Amino acid sequence: MNNFIQLVRNEQMKLYSQIATWIMLIILGVLVIGFGVLMKVDNTMISGEGPTGENWKQELQEQNTQLKEEQQGPPDPGEEREQIQYPSYTDIEMNEYRIQNDIKPSGYDVWDFLQTNRSLISIISLFTIIVAAGMIANEFKWGTIKLLLIRPISRTKILLSKYVSVLLFAGTMLLCLYALSFIVGAALFGIDSISQTYLFRQAGEIQEASIFQHTVSMYLLSSVNLLLMATFAFMISAVFRNSSLAIGVAIFLMMAGNSIVLFLMEREWAKYILFANTDLTMYLEGNPMFNEQTAGFSIAVLFVYYIIFVILAWVFFTKRDVASN
Amino acid sequence: MSQSVMQLKNVSKTIKNKQIIKGLDFEIYSGEVFGFLGPNGAGKTTTIRMMVGLMDMTNGDVLIQGNSVNKDFKKAIRHVGGIVENPEMYPFMSGRKNLLHYSRMIPGITEERIQEVIRLVGLENRIKDKVGKYSLGMRQRLGIAQALLHKPTILILDEPTNGLDPAGIREVRAYIRRLAAEEGVAVIVSSHILSEMEMMCDRIGIIKNGELISIQSVEDALQQTDTKEVSVEASPIDRAQEFLKQKVDSPVQLDSNTVTFNSTREQIPGIISGLVNEGIDIYSVNVNRSTLEDKFLDLIGENSIE
Ligand SMILES: Nc1ncnc2c1ncn2[C@@H]1O[C@H](COP(=O)(O)OP(=O)(O)OP(=O)(O)O)[C@@H](O)[C@H]1O
Ligand SMILES: [Mg+2]
Repeated sequence: MNNFIQLVRNEQMKLYSQIATWIMLIILGVLVIGFGVLMKVDNTMISGEGPTGENWKQELQEQNTQLKEEQQGPPDPGEEREQIQYPSYTDIEMNEYRIQNDIKPSGYDVWDFLQTNRSLISIISLFTIIVAAGMIANEFKWGTIKLLLIRPISRTKILLSKYVSVLLFAGTMLLCLYALSFIVGAALFGIDSISQTYLFRQAGEIQEASIFQHTVSMYLLSSVNLLLMATFAFMISAVFRNSSLAIGVAIFLMMAGNSIVLFLMEREWAKYILFANTDLTMYLEGNPMFNEQTAGFSIAVLFVYYIIFVILAWVFFTKRDVASN
Repeated sequence: MSQSVMQLKNVSKTIKNKQIIKGLDFEIYSGEVFGFLGPNGAGKTTTIRMMVGLMDMTNGDVLIQGNSVNKDFKKAIRHVGGIVENPEMYPFMSGRKNLLHYSRMIPGITEERIQEVIRLVGLENRIKDKVGKYSLGMRQRLGIAQALLHKPTILILDEPTNGLDPAGIREVRAYIRRLAAEEGVAVIVSSHILSEMEMMCDRIGIIKNGELISIQSVEDALQQTDTKEVSVEASPIDRAQEFLKQKVDSPVQLDSNTVTFNSTREQIPGIISGLVNEGIDIYSVNVNRSTLEDKFLDLIGENSIE
């Protein structure tokens, strides 16, 4: 075990001795700060304004009445229609739920900023794919694999230490994203309240959650895609010993994943496609892609893919000769 | 003979239906420098890769201090330090960090030991520099330092003098001899240059097309007093040729101002003083080939790569 920690330390030392790794961290930081400043300066990008004044209940009630009128059908020609005041609060049931349960809408604050920055996880996926793709392939490229494997350590252990290192990198990036977004968001937009209640729909039903818990869950669920794609890139790196190939294929699949699912939507087996299941946030907030899909189903499918990736990586890394190329 | 530390038993390797290594069988003893000699593509690197477990053997086994590389890899490899082909290190880290990296992979390597090997290979002044800035000779030294960290009883160096300048070659030769003599380390060096091997090895195994065709102690070979080819640059050259025709049995060849003939080692001084007494000026004398080199070339035949 002690020995294993040393291996992981080695991998981390190598990773952070490379300038590329630091550039990735810096890019992430620049994006978070840049986003924040941009939104602060140009607040048309903020679409979440709600009635936050004293008589918010009344305002929401009025908006609901207006929304219901619109639903009645098209307005008589010539009749002037009032603009909807709060475009983010157009869910009548949700508004009623708020009024009944006394959950006051909050202004755009740090929590909303955190939610917005969740999209940066795809950047982290990109970076993690690059790191994972290089983990094994680079040792071959540099020729250092030979010195790495002639030690009294099993190849399985070396492989595992490298994989753990990839996960540590992804975890570090995620933590940096969350923490930095919190700091930047708090500095620029303030903290409306630390323990506000967040309302969302889960498969049609309105649900409540504490905002901190909700943002953390969303971040973690969004990272599942990252985990699978990084593991995939790691596997390709172990099988083909070529980082460009691993980066290329993994990024292509990540980008094209949703289109592939949409394209094959009609097929019976479409729900077994990896990318039909990687977005677990749809079970927390939103709706599943296929009717028969459940969270359990998706997790099982992901698990099977994951195991296949891991086994392929292991078999090729431990069994294949290290020959000159 | 001293203790056997490594045994190759019928080691064979077949890649894509082509037998690259054909049943190698030999032993390495502690405290000796064993030269693994063969032309390009003979299978030296492939054999070394199998010794250290980078490649699987198709047949046979390698025992290191009695432990099978196939079955007991971790126990076997603990006794081995090595460089396979080029001394490749992480270019973006300092020499020190590279050593730290490898030291963490084997328990019991202290900070003092790291300092010790740095001093041993004479890299004290440059150890904090990035390896990317090292010359090939410095990387070769760092490679040797890395291989020595855990005090191995067997050191395997594939072409250790590859790319080194004459001073570097001499230095590497000196470390290798010292390690074998003082620490009792068994050193296996591969090369395709015979003269280099003669200077640093105790025994030489010659491999060709994956087969071991001869194993010989260097001392024995050098003591054999076969005939040698001698060239003398002299003036006037025609008189020298006349004199030699009478003096030696072998044919005498003339090539501009040099005469070439065969003689035994013992005869050479007599012939030279004879020439001098005849009033012939001598500009140079060359003894062209050592017996071992003849033997090597005879054995490998034409250097054709199969
Ligand atoms: N991975 C491989 N696939 C197929 N053939 C290989 C492979 N590796 C080596 N060979 C072949 O095995 C033979 C021996 O190669 P090896 O590298 O062991 O030679 P060597 O003695 O080290 O030569 P050199 O002096 O050039 O380093 C060569 O004919 C080579 O083409
Ligand atoms: Mg070679």
